[in-house]
Amino acid sequence: MHVNLNELIAALPEDADPETGPGSLAAQEQLRELTADLAQRRVPVNSLHRLWIVGELSAQIALAYFALWVRRGFANAETRERQLMETNLRLALKMFHRLAYMRGAITKVGQALGSFPDIAPDLIAGTLEQLHFDAPPMHFSLIREMFRNELGKNPEDLFQSFDKQAFAAASFGQVHRARLKTGEDVAVKIQYPGVARTIDADFRNLGALLFPLRLGKDWESIQAAFEEIHRMLKQEVDYEREAESLREIGALFQPSDGIVVPNVYPDYSTPRVLTMDFIPGAHLPHFLETHPSQQLRDQFGTKMLLAWTRIYAAHMNYADPSAGNYVFMEDGRLGLLDFGCVQRYSPEECDLVRLSLRLLDSMETFPEFLVRATGASSRDLADPEYIRLMTDATQWVLEPVTWEGPFDFGDDAHLKRGIERFSALLRKRYTRSHPMYVYYHRSVFALRAVLYRLRARVDARAVFQQLTP
Amino acid sequence: MRITPQAKIATRERILTSAAKLFAANGWDGTTTRDIAIAAQVATGTLFNYFQSKEAILAALVTEALAKAKYDVEQGCRQSLEEDLFAFMYSGLKSLRKFRTVLASAAETIFSPIARSSAHAWAGDSIRAHHLEQVERILAAHGISRPMPAITLQLYWTLYLGIFAYWAADNSPRQEDTLALLDHSLKLFIGSLAGPEGVKNHARESE
Repeated sequence: MHVNLNELIAALPEDADPETGPGSLAAQEQLRELTADLAQRRVPVNSLHRLWIVGELSAQIALAYFALWVRRGFANAETRERQLMETNLRLALKMFHRLAYMRGAITKVGQALGSFPDIAPDLIAGTLEQLHFDAPPMHFSLIREMFRNELGKNPEDLFQSFDKQAFAAASFGQVHRARLKTGEDVAVKIQYPGVARTIDADFRNLGALLFPLRLGKDWESIQAAFEEIHRMLKQEVDYEREAESLREIGALFQPSDGIVVPNVYPDYSTPRVLTMDFIPGAHLPHFLETHPSQQLRDQFGTKMLLAWTRIYAAHMNYADPSAGNYVFMEDGRLGLLDFGCVQRYSPEECDLVRLSLRLLDSMETFPEFLVRATGASSRDLADPEYIRLMTDATQWVLEPVTWEGPFDFGDDAHLKRGIERFSALLRKRYTRSHPMYVYYHRSVFALRAVLYRLRARVDARAVFQQLTP
Repeated sequence: MRITPQAKIATRERILTSAAKLFAANGWDGTTTRDIAIAAQVATGTLFNYFQSKEAILAALVTEALAKAKYDVEQGCRQSLEEDLFAFMYSGLKSLRKFRTVLASAAETIFSPIARSSAHAWAGDSIRAHHLEQVERILAAHGISRPMPAITLQLYWTLYLGIFAYWAADNSPRQEDTLALLDHSLKLFIGSLAGPEGVKNHARESE
């Protein structure tokens, strides 16, 4: 199914404010302007307004595709049933639109990336950087009450010092600097109140709207993906779970790796407050402003890939490797932040990982992999176009690891190729997959986007071979 | 025999203490003025000399608890307007925690903006007046001149009652969901204050 941008915009959910929302004339004009000749020129990444539009629209485009698919599903139903389905669908879309964190989630899983095959990779990479769940900023009176609720004391009594101003945003909260009475510099992540219950209520409501819709053969896959997103979001708001991930992943690295995972301070941590080492250094944009040498870029890029791969080899997925989660330390070490989004693979999922690794040697087992990973039917396997598109997408994922020598992640063509190939899958609706791939693909794209921004050249094959059996 | 002022104070205190214990044990609907009179060892008629109704007793308990709330308006005005109002409002709710479930049943009668002619309406009026006076002081400390337009105060009070009712029925751990509602509501209210001159939402220097 190929749709043009006009059709997609027409399928967008209605906005409360027709003048300024994504469906407005102004937004449509900006979208046309943005996509015109983008292959020919680079759009400045720091053009925040456009990033907002792209970020918003990329989620909206994903929803528009979803809406079109759903409508096809009940196009032949009786009028009354069609009207009921349409009402449910519109309500569901409005809910998605209203929930800012859901927009982030939809885009985070990479579903919308394929909608802009011609967009400049810089803009895609920049957009991915901007996507995080937005919690309202908390003022100090609110922070104080959260501390009293969680730890029984005011922050100024618990710590030697506590910065009232947050220095960073976090998923569903914010981060403050503090110093323990024992002298350690720490980062204290505090969650916005009531978030976990909000997520549960929102998913319940969305489910009630979506489940009656007839979504055809892909419904089970969509439902599984929906539940996976719900599960991962709940995990992200459980800071005790994150503390456990920090400890588990921290144990994977030695000092000689040059990778720093912060220690957790359990006496100052609860399910909604997480206190850990403060890691000094620059985030990606500031690091790039120092015009680092290619050697330094390559070293950091190698450490990023090493970190991700070692976690993967330990049967976990560091599912949110976005630019904000890396710290470029002055001594050359790489700091890792934010372990809220760590998937732990079940025995079944570990089997799938092992099956996918066999593809590095030969694509002979690819049909078996497709059956297990996507539920491909014998009809699918007999369809040359299906096989071609799935092969193309898989080979793109494996490309750096099958490359001899340093792979240039800064190559525009590589990122664009990935977007085109996954976009082709989206257009053909070949998106059915095991729910573990919802966050796996997001993770792959996010890491590639960061490595692209870094223009790092990494011997990915060597990194991979060190760590995998 | 003349009853001394001290004796009157003591009797009033006994009634309030007994009422607090009975409300905690039996809830609002499960406690009658007769029960309170018996527990306080006074005649029912005597009880009505001190308090016209069960609502008036609860209103008196609320007033006393609010007076003990740990927020000093003068002391507190060191942050932004939003922070000061938040701290003031939430300190009041915390001081009422032991009466929360009782207030869930009774608040509508005491605070209802509709029941102006109700015999119980006056019980909530003094709480309202005192609360709004504190709010005006906080606003004035942040450069918003007094007296506030009546409609602004009514808007505030309506918002506050909504938060209060939510809090009274909030069964989330330590009424955490009320924190979020209060935060959002204050942003809404303070946004509504922005007029041609804007809101001087500055933080005062600490003493």
